[in-house]
Amino acid sequence: MEEVLRVLPEGVKNIIKRYSNVERGGIEEIRIRINRPLEIIINGSPQFPQVDGREYFISREDASQITNKLSQYSLYALEEELKKGFVTIQGGHRVGLAGKVITLNGNVKAIRDIASFNVRIAKQKIGIATPLLSYLYSGGWMNTVILGPPNSGKTTLLRDLTRLMAEGYPKRSIASSKVGIVDERSEIAGCVHGIPQHQLGKRVDILDACPKAEGMMMMIRSMSPEILIVDEIGGAKESEAIIEAVNAGIHLVVTVHGSSIEDLYRRPSIQELIRSGMFKRIVELSRSSGPGTIKAVKDHKGNEIRRTKVI
Amino acid sequence: MKLLGAILIVLASTWAGVEWSRTVSERSRQLRMLKSALQSLEAEIVYGMTPLSVACGHICRQVGHPVSWFFDSFRKKLEEGHSTAYDAWMKSMDEVWKYTAFKSEEKEIMKQLGATIGQQDREHEQKQLQLALIHLEREEQEARNNQMKYEKMFKSLGFLGGVLLVILLI
Repeated sequence: MEEVLRVLPEGVKNIIKRYSNVERGGIEEIRIRINRPLEIIINGSPQFPQVDGREYFISREDASQITNKLSQYSLYALEEELKKGFVTIQGGHRVGLAGKVITLNGNVKAIRDIASFNVRIAKQKIGIATPLLSYLYSGGWMNTVILGPPNSGKTTLLRDLTRLMAEGYPKRSIASSKVGIVDERSEIAGCVHGIPQHQLGKRVDILDACPKAEGMMMMIRSMSPEILIVDEIGGAKESEAIIEAVNAGIHLVVTVHGSSIEDLYRRPSIQELIRSGMFKRIVELSRSSGPGTIKAVKDHKGNEIRRTKVI
Repeated sequence: MKLLGAILIVLASTWAGVEWSRTVSERSRQLRMLKSALQSLEAEIVYGMTPLSVACGHICRQVGHPVSWFFDSFRKKLEEGHSTAYDAWMKSMDEVWKYTAFKSEEKEIMKQLGATIGQQDREHEQKQLQLALIHLEREEQEARNNQMKYEKMFKSLGFLGGVLLVILLI
């Protein structure tokens, strides 16, 4: 939370400081929009905190303070981030940006006149992948697909799984492995200047903001990982890289958008991967009882090994 | 004895003339320093995308006093946290300007540069810096012309003044 407070303007900072520690722990998003009231989302419900009986309206001054602090007074240093529309700050938190978009030849060049900031608080849930250990590990890590609709906790689960793999799990005498992460959207590790902001263990190498297909090949060629972690695969090129990696004897853990295994069969590039049976485990997530509900763990033929349990 | 006194007087007045002429050359020397500092800043911004505070840390090690004092003070203000970079820039100028040999033209150029520093993308930062450099180039030309004109004059004035004094005293 300290890292987040550092980029907020004084007025907003004082409001956040009024919340108790418990409430502060529940903050998911802080939404800042010029000329509109400050919105704080705590445990899924929006709140518009009041100062002196009025909602706190964000001034232009407040917004320029955030921009200055995010960029260390050097907007040009944020060029890449302004193109992608978010800035990752220390602690792995992420500030989404919206405003006037400048395009060049139909591609987004930058966001100018930033009018909305969405500070998303990153929460690492250490230990959520532990109950899955016995399904995903037997003598070695199995190639795994984590499947779920958006906001179902895929990346959070993937992050904790990465940590388990890189740190090992002495209680079950699982040794640590060299893990390579291709983190195209900087979400798994939340890197700042290439250094992961989440606790991922000491044996992790990250290609931050790298296109997935290319990144996987780079990892295989140069970093000799034992396990590769990739988020949200989909394209044909990525499937090729995955086949390459599996044939090189590397274990893979990937996530895919979709709500059931049938969805995967409908996507041509992924369908092949699943049918070939190279992924021995498929973890299905859903939002039915909040993010992170494990609907089922299936094997490569689609047979269920385990049923619904909330983590 | 007389001769020794005369030589002493001429030496002293020549030295005074040289000192005097140095104040004239100081402005063009500092202008050169400021130009090279801004060129470094341009490289840091365009090729390195280095944040201003870090870039200024590098620059103040590269150039001599008193230009380095300005960048050092700017860096410190940014690290302390100011409302805007312009604010920090202006405050640093107010602090350091009195130790420099710069004139009001340079102050105006730097003010204009400070108004946009750190608030634009790379291309625009580069354009602003190059504009400032062109203006400074012109000022340097002028300073150098003055230097050529007055430097020699002050030197010879010193020497000849000494000779005049000697003749009068003899």
